[in-house]
Order: sequence, then C-alpha cells, then structure tokens
Amino acid sequence: MATTLDPPAVATLRWQVRPSARKMADKASRAAIERAGLQVGEIDLLLNTGLYHDRNLGEPALAALIQEDVGINPEDPHAGVHGTFSFDIANGGCGVLTALQVADGFLQSGTIDHALVVASDADPGHGMAPGFPFSAKGAAVVCHWEDGPSGLVGFQWEIVPEDGDLFRSRFGFERGRNRLRVEQDPDFGCRAAAWAGRTATSLLADHAIRPADVDLVVATPLTPAFLEGLSTHLGIGSERVVAVEGAEHVHTAALIVALAAAEEQGRLNEAHRVLLISAGAGIVVGAAVLVR
Amino acid sequence: MPRTWLMMEQSPDGGRAPYVARFESIGRRLPTTRLTTEELMASTRHRTRIDLERLTGIHERRVSAGAEDSLSLAAGAATDCLRRSRYGPDDLQVLASCSITKYRDGLTQWLEPPMSLAVAQQIGATNATAFDISNACAGMLTGVFVVANRIRRGEIDCGMVVSGEYISQLGQNAAKHVRHVLSDELASLTLGDAGAAVILERAPQGGPGIAVAGFTTVSEHSRLCLAYPARHDQGARMFTKSRSIHRVAIADTPVLLHEALDAAGLAITDIDHVIPHQTSARAIRKGMKDLCEALGGAPKNPAVVTVDHYGNTASTTHFVALVEELMAGHLHPGDQVALVALASGLEIGVVLFTVDDGLVSLYGHDA
Repeated sequence: MATTLDPPAVATLRWQVRPSARKMADKASRAAIERAGLQVGEIDLLLNTGLYHDRNLGEPALAALIQEDVGINPEDPHAGVHGTFSFDIANGGCGVLTALQVADGFLQSGTIDHALVVASDADPGHGMAPGFPFSAKGAAVVCHWEDGPSGLVGFQWEIVPEDGDLFRSRFGFERGRNRLRVEQDPDFGCRAAAWAGRTATSLLADHAIRPADVDLVVATPLTPAFLEGLSTHLGIGSERVVAVEGAEHVHTAALIVALAAAEEQGRLNEAHRVLLISAGAGIVVGAAVLVR
Repeated sequence: MPRTWLMMEQSPDGGRAPYVARFESIGRRLPTTRLTTEELMASTRHRTRIDLERLTGIHERRVSAGAEDSLSLAAGAATDCLRRSRYGPDDLQVLASCSITKYRDGLTQWLEPPMSLAVAQQIGATNATAFDISNACAGMLTGVFVVANRIRRGEIDCGMVVSGEYISQLGQNAAKHVRHVLSDELASLTLGDAGAAVILERAPQGGPGIAVAGFTTVSEHSRLCLAYPARHDQGARMFTKSRSIHRVAIADTPVLLHEALDAAGLAITDIDHVIPHQTSARAIRKGMKDLCEALGGAPKNPAVVTVDHYGNTASTTHFVALVEELMAGHLHPGDQVALVALASGLEIGVVLFTVDDGLVSLYGHDA
C-alpha cells in the first residue's frame, strides 16, 4: 500500500508574449485531472509549488486561485459533498518532492483520496524580473492511495547550508522599484549532484536496493552538469537517468516534466524501481523511491 | 471520500494515524516599538477623516524600527519557544516556516533558499527537514496541520512551525494612498509585526492534544484580498475587500466549526476559549455574535482579542494570542480551545485542542 502517481501533464502557453504562470498551472492541472480519469471535484488537496508567478503575488496562496480557475469545489460549503483545501509549498527546486511527501502523509492517514501537485514558473512581468532565467512551463500530477505494492516507499532529505550561497533568489528595491535578482553559481550543478548522490545512496541502502537494481532515475535540475554529476556519484549509467531536451531551464516544474518525458518515452512503464531526486537552493537535496 | 466539507483529521484515528499531536511549547517575538493608531493615521498623505481606532478597536501595534525583519522575528520566536521547551534545536525533525513575508536584511524578500533553512540555521536545527508553507494568514495553522499529520502517523516525534511577519511596512505604504474609509488598502493600516513559533510533539498515550483539525479553501472568494510587491515603494501593498470577506466568513464559518465540533463530540458551549484570526476587535465581536446565534450557544468565555494592542499580525496571530493567554493565566488544564483561521484564499480552518498541565506550567502557572 502506497501513494501512487497518475500520469503527469505538462503545459506551455506557446503563443503568448508573456505566459502567465497561473494560466499554465491551470492548464496543467486540468490535463492532469483528466489523465487521472477524475472529475475536478474529486480533488481533496491542491498543493502548488511554483515560485515565480504573475506580479509575484504574495497573498493569497496561488493554489487558491488555481482551485477557483479549474473549478475544484470553489463554492461555499454545503451539505452532502466535500470541499478542497489548497495551499502553497515553497522549497525551491525541491518543492514538488516536498509536496509529494506532504500529499503522501495525508493519503497514508486516509484523510484524503486524491491530491493534485502543481508547479509553474514564468516571468512575473511588470518589469519586475529583467533577465528572468527560467523557462515558462507548468506541470501537474495527481496522486492517490493504492492497496497494491507499487508507489512511493520512502523519502530522504539533506540540507547543506555551507553551499547556501550557490543559488539565491531575492526581490529587492533597486533603482526606484522592486526587482527580482536570481544568482546561480556555475558550480551549483556539480555541488548539488555530489550531495544528491550521497543522499540517494543512503536512501537506497535504507531500502536494501543496490544502485544496479534502479531502473530509472528521474532527477532535477535538468541541467547536464547536475545529471552527469549525479550519474557518476550514484554509479548509475547515464542511460538510466532521464534527460529532457530543451528543459534545462525549467525550474520548479522540472520533476513532473521529467516524469512526463519518461512516461512518453515508455521508460516509466517499463521501470520497476524509480529513483526520484531533486536538488535546490539551500542546498537542499531530497530523494524518494517509487516502486512500480 | 471525506464525509465533511472540511479536509479534517481527528485524533486518535485507528491504525493509520494512532497518535495524538500536542503543543509542547509556544514562543513569540514582538518588536519593542509601539505605533499607535493615532500616530499612524497622522502620517497619512491625504486628509482621510477616518477614525480607524473606533472602526477596528486597534489602539496600537508593534512595529519594527528597522532592526527586525521576517527572519529575525521568526528566529527570535523560535528561540523563545526552545527556551521553554524540553527539546533542543537538534531534536527537531521538521521545521516549517509559514510566513507570508520572507524579508531578510531589511526589505529584501528571499524566494530561494526558503526561509525555513535560514531559521533552522540560526537556531541550530541541524537535523530538521525544512520547507516553507505559504497560505496567507492561515499559514501557521496550515503548518500545524501538516506537521501534526506526521506526528499522528508516528513518522516523527516532534517538529516546529514558525513564522515571522514584517508587515508594518504595508501600513506605511497604505498611508501614502488611503483617501477614505472605503479604500481597499484600509486593512493594511491594521497590521503589526510579530514572530511566533510552536513545537508539536506526540502526546503521551491517552493524553490530550489536538483532537480535530480541519481546513478548506472557499476559492470562489480567492480574489478578495491580494498582496504584491509595491511597484515604486519598498516592501508590498495589499488590496482587501474587507466587507466582503467579513460577509463570507460570517456565512461560512458556523457550518465548518459545527463540522469540527461534531467530529470532536463537542458543542460550542463546551468550548472554553475561541481564538479567532485577529482582524479587528469590532469584526471579531460581531462575528462571534453571529456565530453563537447560528450555533445556538456560546463558548464559556468571550473570544480572545489581542488585535487591540498588537494589530493584525497575519499568520502569527493565533500563537501570539495563545502566549498572551498562557502568560496571563487564562488557560487551565482541561480547557477546550478552538483556533479559528480565516485568511485570504478564502481559507477557513479550525484546530480544536485541550490545554494540558505541561503547556500551562511552561508559563509560570501551577497546573
């Protein structure tokens, strides 16, 4: 018995001059719910983990706006049905993995039947983010509890504050207005790969899984430096690590984007043991085992 | 399928969540500088003729004089919480930072790394998994819901939920723009700065703790309160349709509180203390009157009001108020407390817990 992921969905808004992160999240959420074979009202918990959205809205949680846009039980409480709870989780590039763990907790306790995890980033616009470095992309996945042997069977985290300066993102007042400044050291990918490799190796050992028994590694960020470094540190050949062409600048949605790519390539369905890994600013690294 | 509108957890709850979470320690940090409503209204750019103190019941609020920001308030509250706790920072297995504002080094809003990492680092919580939750003024109670879930299932023994809100700068920005009583930035003038932290742990077998926690998002009202970074001022601006929020809260809260009370096997008359979100003293009293009429009874004591002297401190209000009540000796072992969240989203949440000897004794009162 474990938390199982339904087929993920990815969204872009190709023809817009400035894509809206919220609208991409809406689109990805609708598609993920449809791919899970559900009605929108069946989602009990909605977790948004995207960080960069329209005007950098600070309040309310973007999740609430997504819930209303998608029409997931938006109305006032009434008898005979259930509502939906929505909020945001922020953990940089590890947000999706954190949200999966939170959703897993509420699924394990039987509190909910279905959770939707969504992430999207785009230039906040209004001149707030000159040189915004991340690709406009949204992605979402539904998870549910299943009685069979497949699903998420363990999470492990490590925080490495000594490398905290390698990735920083701040809104500050510069030249008369609030501007976003994202600073990423060129060494971030290599350093993050080393820490992620260590954490994932420890997780595998806890579950008595040898690196050779891992069929697929779905890891983020999707940069060559991180993925190549991770492959080396894990001792798992790069052919078993999912790479997604053109996705190296996808940020919080990257883990779901990589899952979707693996599914589309048919690799996810063939894999028995999948290692999910994320690294983000902090440095925070997280790993989970997905048994299928 | 959940049987209630609220996404709700009841403790204990059989084999999948056999444990109960309790509040082990609560701490807070308040800036020492006081700003009266009279002083704030005297600073408005336009001659507003608004008697804000009469409208809201807020006499003063605590504000950062520049030395405090979201991080220092959060870390200060976490340190205060640990000072009363039998846990050390190394014992914390999870740390969730739940503030709306994430200002460090003054008014620089940090998006990455998350605020929780900075708090963990400042207090020495080296073994804690850390992440941020963002859910407007319901942030800390949402954090309690998430951390309590892990405790209930036995995944962890203890964790901290923390928040630091440096929001008085929204009031300073609003003072430049508010012209009349219908201004959608009027609510920004009610804000005050504060930090709060709570450690949750597994309650002893059969011991009291959080009996019920339930939350929902009534998202058709999600756009009634929106806050953004200011375009040409430092900090942020918030735009609120206060009357509409109040109307929805009065309409929706009774049915949701009734659900939570039902799950706990309690009536409103069994509740000793209701601690609502602190928006304005007048709104709280009017809201409680309507709530009592809808539920056919009243709690044993009037609703707790701290907004009159601390202002609306956003996600920290319930724990700022809890510390106030504990320090004043108003809470006694066995008391039933209802924490009621109301936040932009529109988020409504209820946490019902029983006060125990351990919590009371931390604040210098005999159990």
